[in-house]
Amino acid sequence: MRVAVCAPQVPFVRGGAELMADDLVAALRTRGHEAELVTIPFKWYPGSRVLDQAFLWRLVDLAESDGRPIDRVIATKFPAYCVRHPHKVAWVLHQFRQAYDYDRTELGQFSESPADRATRRAVERLDGVALGEAQRVFATSRNVADRLERFNGIAAEVLPHPPQTLDYRSEEPEGFILSVNRLDRAKRIDLLIAAVKREPGLRVVITGEGPDRERLEGLAAGMNGRVEFAGRVGDAALADLYARCLAVYYAPLDEDFGMVPYEAFLAAKPVVTTVDAGGPLEVVHDRETGIVVAPEAVEIARACAYLVAHVDEAKAWGRAGLAIAERVTWDACVDALLS
Amino acid sequence: MKVAYYSPLPPSRSGIADYSALLLPALRERVEVVVAEPGKRAPAADVALYHVGNDPDAHGWIVDALRKRPGVVVLHEYVLHHLIAGITIGRGDGRAYLDAMERELGVAGRLLGLGVLDNLLPLLWETQPERFPLAGTVLDRAHGLVVHSAYVGGRARAAGYAGRIWQIPHPAWPAAEIAPAGDVSGDPLVGCFGYLNMNKRIPELLEAFAAFRGSRPGARLLLVGAAGERFDVERRLERLGLTDGVQRLDYVPEERMWSLMAACDVLVNLRYPTMGETSGSVIRALSLGKALVVSDIGWFGELPDDAVLKVPVDEYEVQTLAAALELAAQHGPALGAAARAYVEREHALPAVADAYAAALESAAGSDAVDDAVLWRIAEAAAEVGIDDVAALARAARESGIVT
Repeated sequence: MRVAVCAPQVPFVRGGAELMADDLVAALRTRGHEAELVTIPFKWYPGSRVLDQAFLWRLVDLAESDGRPIDRVIATKFPAYCVRHPHKVAWVLHQFRQAYDYDRTELGQFSESPADRATRRAVERLDGVALGEAQRVFATSRNVADRLERFNGIAAEVLPHPPQTLDYRSEEPEGFILSVNRLDRAKRIDLLIAAVKREPGLRVVITGEGPDRERLEGLAAGMNGRVEFAGRVGDAALADLYARCLAVYYAPLDEDFGMVPYEAFLAAKPVVTTVDAGGPLEVVHDRETGIVVAPEAVEIARACAYLVAHVDEAKAWGRAGLAIAERVTWDACVDALLS
Repeated sequence: MKVAYYSPLPPSRSGIADYSALLLPALRERVEVVVAEPGKRAPAADVALYHVGNDPDAHGWIVDALRKRPGVVVLHEYVLHHLIAGITIGRGDGRAYLDAMERELGVAGRLLGLGVLDNLLPLLWETQPERFPLAGTVLDRAHGLVVHSAYVGGRARAAGYAGRIWQIPHPAWPAAEIAPAGDVSGDPLVGCFGYLNMNKRIPELLEAFAAFRGSRPGARLLLVGAAGERFDVERRLERLGLTDGVQRLDYVPEERMWSLMAACDVLVNLRYPTMGETSGSVIRALSLGKALVVSDIGWFGELPDDAVLKVPVDEYEVQTLAAALELAAQHGPALGAAARAYVEREHALPAVADAYAAALESAAGSDAVDDAVLWRIAEAAAEVGIDDVAALARAARESGIVT
């Protein structure tokens, strides 16, 4: 089967969504399909520019390529799922959240001006049209599916995807908590740093880059190296950090899916998260596969300290997570997407 | 974003006043609303919402405001002849009435209007308004339309209306435990609420009820509402031998109406011809989980088959209606449960208010947004030699990018 995987691209930014699209293409090719990533740069501001970007996808003709038909289109995000194709499948990582749950919050984009309000409504309307055209709509998590249902009345099937391919393994924990995330405010890494400040026995390694790095480094100053910023690390180094850490901290605000818990689980490590983290809560269960606490530094400090003091429990919860993560495979995803 | 809200409100005795009293608090949770008042300066706002019904006393000032500033019109019914007659002839402006008739039917309409003005023809808004809806005056000034039924939306389109149309369900009153009135009874008790006239098919209902009562002597019919002029209910009851089987009550306050409805086993709400109206009584009946019989016409005909019994308006109407009463009496609880489930699913107030907010936000800003998007598309297209702006606009519209 010839499959076009459609995903937007934010130049110079690479995260979970980009990894997932690449992995999907690789998974399709491994299973004998011709697969290609089709992408268009995405800039969603200012004002109604977001609609121009959607229009670009509407203009893209993927009915065939070089005289041969394209059998299926799999689109992962707004505005890529605005592409038109008779056999379009949407596998939604997330919608344009500024128009939905982020609206009228500090993460929102649209003001109260009539033009901004109308732009938000246009995105909502467009999602109805674009996803309504799809033969099937999947969501990568229950959280994303619930949003589609709540805001657009669209029923989506939940289909989680496996995390990036790494040399996952588990070694004897070295006592540090690992954060794997882009450094921006919505990921709430500042809470982890504040927890370290409260709990003298804690040590953390923070991987990733992002616009919040300078502020986070400022917050971590004067803690005698207990907070280490590792920056963007390669695959081997990341697998090594997962293998050696005690647990993984992952507490974004209402995350769509969250690949990091699956990665942590594949290294048999428990996850510390918060009650408002969204998607991660579908697999991080309190005192079964990690610890779930209120989004407050004092609670996160207590949770991490508990794991430091109870390594055997941490290991057991990590193993329970491993059993969950191993059930999510590319075989199952590809079968569902192409069926 | 601020919305100027034009509607009759309680204590005005109208279904639209009740509707707005229900909707307004929920809408205010979603957008800033300033309520316009008759005789006062139009409030400053980003968009105006005009509730238009057929009563010139309740809605004349609203159409006046609409003429001064176009906005979103909630078309509560499609036939507005009585309204237009009231704000033209009723104000001594026969020429405006002729203009409205001409707008609808051309020269023939103008001539018909002259016949009415010269007393050569009967008053069309009383005798056959459905043939001459006169909605054009309102449609011409509507920046967008909110309708409650596909029927009204379809009629507006058929009349050439090209603006945006949002179909939004009539909101339902929140479910509450209503104590049934203790002073009415029947086995079963059949209720019919609203103005009693030919248009509500009261003669057909009385005939059907008489037949129904033949097999169920304990049945009683409760008629609640004022009788129309030239409609002698008592004489009809006598002729059908129904004087002890029917109880009549005039206008009753809201609370009393709910308790009377709650006391009924079966409710009936018929229409012909339809003016494209919805019915607050029907929504109340569905909310109460009552077995309900309606005419299969207009908005009533769009109600789901499993939630209401629909009676076609044809030569078998009376017989079908009698059979429907029997079915409703036999399967009241099941029908009522389906009715309540439907209204909770489709007419929930929060969802209706959300839909209004979406429509108003789109109406207020989408012209500017569409212009901006189309301008950028046209600009980029021109740079590569595509200058058919109309085709581009069409493509953008067809692809759902602009409205």
